[in-house]
Amino acid sequence: MSDQALTYLDANSVATEGPAWLDVRRKAAHASFADAGFPHRRVEAWRYTDLSRLMAKTDWHPAAPHDGAVLVPEGRSNPFSSIASHKLVFVNGFFRQDLSELDGLPEGVEILPLETALERGTKFESAFDANGPEAMAPIAALNTACARDGAVIRLNEGITLEQPVQLIHYTPDGGATVAHTRNVIELGSGASMTLLEAQIGWGGAYLVDRVTNLNLGERASLTHVRLEDEDTDAVHLSTVLGDVASNASYKANTLALGGRAGRLQSALHFTGEGAHAESNTAYLLRETQHLDSTIVVDHAVPGCTSGALAKGVLDDEAIGVFQGKVIVAPHAQKSDAKQMSNALLLSRDAAMNAKPELEIYADDVQCAHGSTIGELDGDALFYLRSRGIEEQTARQMLISAFLGDVLEQISHEVARDALTERATQWFEVKKEGEV
Amino acid sequence: MLEIKDLHASVDGTPILKGISLTIGDGEIHAIMGPNGSGKSTLSNVLAGRENYMITKGSIIYKGKDLTELSIEERASAGIFLAFQYPTEIPGVTTMTFLKTAVNAQRKARGEDELDAVKFLKLVREKAKELKVEEDMLKRPLNVGFSGGEKKRAETLQMSLLQPSLAVLDETDSGLDIDALKIVADGVNRMRAPDRSMIVITHYQRLLDYIVPDHVHVLAKGKIIRSGGKALAAELEASGYTDLTESAA
Repeated sequence: MSDQALTYLDANSVATEGPAWLDVRRKAAHASFADAGFPHRRVEAWRYTDLSRLMAKTDWHPAAPHDGAVLVPEGRSNPFSSIASHKLVFVNGFFRQDLSELDGLPEGVEILPLETALERGTKFESAFDANGPEAMAPIAALNTACARDGAVIRLNEGITLEQPVQLIHYTPDGGATVAHTRNVIELGSGASMTLLEAQIGWGGAYLVDRVTNLNLGERASLTHVRLEDEDTDAVHLSTVLGDVASNASYKANTLALGGRAGRLQSALHFTGEGAHAESNTAYLLRETQHLDSTIVVDHAVPGCTSGALAKGVLDDEAIGVFQGKVIVAPHAQKSDAKQMSNALLLSRDAAMNAKPELEIYADDVQCAHGSTIGELDGDALFYLRSRGIEEQTARQMLISAFLGDVLEQISHEVARDALTERATQWFEVKKEGEV
Repeated sequence: MLEIKDLHASVDGTPILKGISLTIGDGEIHAIMGPNGSGKSTLSNVLAGRENYMITKGSIIYKGKDLTELSIEERASAGIFLAFQYPTEIPGVTTMTFLKTAVNAQRKARGEDELDAVKFLKLVREKAKELKVEEDMLKRPLNVGFSGGEKKRAETLQMSLLQPSLAVLDETDSGLDIDALKIVADGVNRMRAPDRSMIVITHYQRLLDYIVPDHVHVLAKGKIIRSGGKALAAELEASGYTDLTESAA
């Protein structure tokens, strides 16, 4: 038993008064998290990100609904706003019907808040049973015990959703508040869609914890583009737990800029041959920001391909973490897995921790992992400056080029330009600050 | 154009240039020849302002001003261009983007209007054609995977777009076969002008058959040990550097 966890659960867990199937799971999750507590640095999978310490000495309590206008600070607005989409908007973790756009959904498409889906009697037993690998299970349990709402996106077999779906979370209020949300995304066989997700906060000290359960049917395809731009006093956790069936494809590209400390974790599990999953992350950190990008890919069946690429730019005293784990089951021949972490340190006080792990029990596989940590190339900088390009611009060109491997892979053109623009803004803030 | 007086310079604390004096008038081409390790590339890096190259004594006056007070990019905008011996590969930055950024950065620094995309493209295409630079090369990341000839043609293309007042060509002939050398030399010769001077740094006389200098200087152990007209290059080709450097020591 952990006192810290008990105190937290007392203040923040959801009363078990929902449907019976959910109450059972909430109670079990409550007990499990109370026992395990917040992961700390003596837990191997959390050694670089001590969540227990980050959560300590704070009187955490649930966020309140935020009604009325959401005044997003300049330069922090939804980067996907110009893209015609189906849209779910949450503020402080609460669904805002008035800001969402859910009219005219095609047949076979369900997009609605979790709370509404539960009221309608929909069951999500398998999603709430999926706790992911050991590294992520405590967070999944915490989320099950505390999440009251989130997004549900379900596509029937064979549906291609023309417009992307936007999932936008704003956190305008803070003061030791917490918001746990649970998203459930299920794509039937051959279904495909693009999910544009933005998590934007400016409320000061708060915790946001999002768990997304993905279930991709055979030949289904999900393109997931994310912006993580939380307040620099906030703690954020974002967990993706995905099952990917045969010949299905999951492609995630994330730009992470914000937060005092954050962990983006994904566990992707192949359930059928010929599937593909990749998760690529670009992150830009300064001051004492901390970002942990952790991915576990489980090649449980033969003939699947996976990729994970993390590109970090670390300034001042920022800390980056990359943990990549590939598991290849004994019979999962012809698996192909690549994991790479590249970090660019702009300051001598920044730090990067990279931990690749391979657990391979099959013999006919291709698995590659690597990690580089370096500074900006002085020769390249000299070359650009010798052509009249100002030092700041030259640095920016080289950093943008470094991030290009992640951002340029975004297949949705407008989303790609929007996130590239957001990354560029990051440099401009620096420029102003340097006067 | 340029007046170097008693220039001493060190690289990472090691003295390399030990008292160079050189005066280059408007429109003149000066060749600097010398064996490996004589300080030829150090001189070009010092002129461009590379950061770990420290001037310990002497002066460099460019167009009447103290060059050493200018940053790397200020020197470029003031008209100094260094054609690199080994152009740096820059992954993720396309050649075209780089060229446009460089041209407009210099225009802006000089208080001129920046070129729009259409005008710039027209200008690049015209210059690229002269240097047999394929459109495809401009779309590739700068210098990445370029052959030796492509790299030097790209350097020459940059020079012809940036229109410098003083071009320093550092071993432009290295890594080039004779056909590539001719294309590059033609590009350089097209740029000869009464208000443009050049310093051609080379180990071999071969390049000077194509880019004919007004003056030739021999650099050895960080000093100019002999200067003369273009005939000096031919003389060196026959006798080699050994005699000269030994007599200097």
